[in-house]
Amino acid sequence: MRKADLITGFVLLVLSGYVIRTAAQMPASGTFGPGAGFLPFWVGVILAVLALILLASAWRRKATGKEALSPFPGKRALLAITGVLGGLGVYILLIEALGFLVDTFLFVAFLMGVVEKERWPMTLAVSVCTTAGLFIVFQVLLGVTLPANRFGF
Amino acid sequence: MDIFHNILLGFQVASSAENLLFCFIGVLIGTLIGVLPGIGPTTGVAILIPITFGMNATTAIITMCGVYYGAMYGGSTTSILLNVPGESASVMTTLDGYQMAKKGRSGPALGMAALASFIAGTFAILMLTFIAPPLADFAVSFGPPEYFALTFMGLTLVTSLGGDSPLKGLISGVIGLLVACVGIDAQSGVARFTFENMNLLDGVGFIGMAVGLFAASEVLVNIEEPMQQIFTEAKLSVRSLLPNLQDWKDCFGALWRGSIIGFFVGVLPGAGATIASFLAYAVEKKFSRHPDDFGTGLIEGVAAPEGANNAAAGGAMVSLLTLGIPGSGTTAVLLGALMIHGLRPGPLLFSNNPQFVWGLIASMYIGNVMLVVLNMPLIGLWVRLLRVPYKVLMPLIITISAVGVFATDNNVFDMWVMFFFGVVGYLMRKMDYPPAPMVLALVLGPMVEMSLRQSLTISHGSLGIFFVRPISAVLTVVAFASLFAPLVKIAWQRYRSGRESTEG
Repeated sequence: MRKADLITGFVLLVLSGYVIRTAAQMPASGTFGPGAGFLPFWVGVILAVLALILLASAWRRKATGKEALSPFPGKRALLAITGVLGGLGVYILLIEALGFLVDTFLFVAFLMGVVEKERWPMTLAVSVCTTAGLFIVFQVLLGVTLPANRFGF
Repeated sequence: MDIFHNILLGFQVASSAENLLFCFIGVLIGTLIGVLPGIGPTTGVAILIPITFGMNATTAIITMCGVYYGAMYGGSTTSILLNVPGESASVMTTLDGYQMAKKGRSGPALGMAALASFIAGTFAILMLTFIAPPLADFAVSFGPPEYFALTFMGLTLVTSLGGDSPLKGLISGVIGLLVACVGIDAQSGVARFTFENMNLLDGVGFIGMAVGLFAASEVLVNIEEPMQQIFTEAKLSVRSLLPNLQDWKDCFGALWRGSIIGFFVGVLPGAGATIASFLAYAVEKKFSRHPDDFGTGLIEGVAAPEGANNAAAGGAMVSLLTLGIPGSGTTAVLLGALMIHGLRPGPLLFSNNPQFVWGLIASMYIGNVMLVVLNMPLIGLWVRLLRVPYKVLMPLIITISAVGVFATDNNVFDMWVMFFFGVVGYLMRKMDYPPAPMVLALVLGPMVEMSLRQSLTISHGSLGIFFVRPISAVLTVVAFASLFAPLVKIAWQRYRSGRESTEG
């Protein structure tokens, strides 16, 4: 946790530097009082102070016991998380090209079959039901126009 | 007799067929969400925003509020039967509830949990009915300085009461404020932090961020530790659920103390149902004639926290509706939902939209009755639903979230916002940053900024304006006190431990 705090502290410090710099270029005061850059500038300053406190307190702590452990999971869990996130990214990327029905079916099948390693009959059933259920709720009942591919589905 | 007139109006609104139906659907979904571990009330409400998008505002909010207090009901079931809290406000219920189940008294424990929820929930709505209007009248005189002080206090209280580390809560809130700055500045028209991206000119979409931060990140955390299949053999009939006379006698004190504690903790901005249930349990232990027996299966140890978390859900509606200050993650998401529907929570809501406010309050009376009538016979069914494996639930939660976020604006960019904040939310959860302050800051951000700039314009740039006016002075002092309270506590502990070591 100590290492994680040191890294986040550093990232937040860089972020606050960027915010302060950008906010300083905005008009600091309008015609009648504070302008667009006023709040972001001071919020950036507060963030910088908080990041420094985080860094300082992490620096002073000793990395023993729970502090030495990483808060992140082992390889296998990380693989599953990457699978879900990667799948979601590809899903969003392709939804307009493939259309809602095909894309959602493939995504759910990927999550069940590849990430969760479920048997294929079950995977197929859940994918079909989820896709159909969402389509009925959103497109039929709520009247949302879901993305369709160029063949119209 | 204005109140009775208003209540009557409320029941007229709430008892339309459409509102009754959606109140029912809301409490049903809420109970389901409460029962299922791995999906909490905040996630449930966040996912429902896009789905209720096309309804009229009153119906939509009635549904979402139903989910909120329905989840408080449902959370107790798994706590008692399986020692697995369905959501964080039910953690205390596991202590005595599970022990009761082990002794074969799961029926009365479940029954008392449901009845305590009903009694305390109804008490809280009664209090809401009578306290909210005068509070709103009082708040009508608020100017920009009071509003700034109020929102500022709400933010600091959430950060200091929220998680284990006030520092991390503050960082989460400050980043939320920065996210709120993205987009075109409403007062001067300057584009801020938009990275030349057209989609960001309107700011970061609230729904995408809330769903990502709560729903998507919750899935990622849950996928890490595969949940084991849970089974229970308990056979439950309605008759076996009814507590006997001795149980009622034991619970009498717990019920009224839990209700009062829950309600007032709920009203406080920043403290929610979880803190209320912890406090109620602790108080009950203190008042008890046999405090050592707590944790061995006392029925009052179930009644107190279950009553308190429901009363807190009602209490939270007071500050949400009258002041526009949410007390927790779930109410912050509700506030966002209200704004999306064009309603501005705050003192004027009561005079501008009486139909909405009183319709909502009346629907909460109705919803509470529905819950108790529904849940007593249905507990067996909920328990069977637990056998739905998370494997099936997980793809369902992700796809509902993604499609729902898309549906609000028919914009794929919002899905990327969800994706981004899903990752951010996951990292935050793993490193103990509470997500609630960030969402709260995003919702309150525009109000904070506007009232701050207006106040400073009135005062020609002097910060003194927040301390000269009495109401804003009190609120600002409370805000600073809550900021520095953790520091004082640490200093005091060091001072004491230092003195003990020199003396000993």
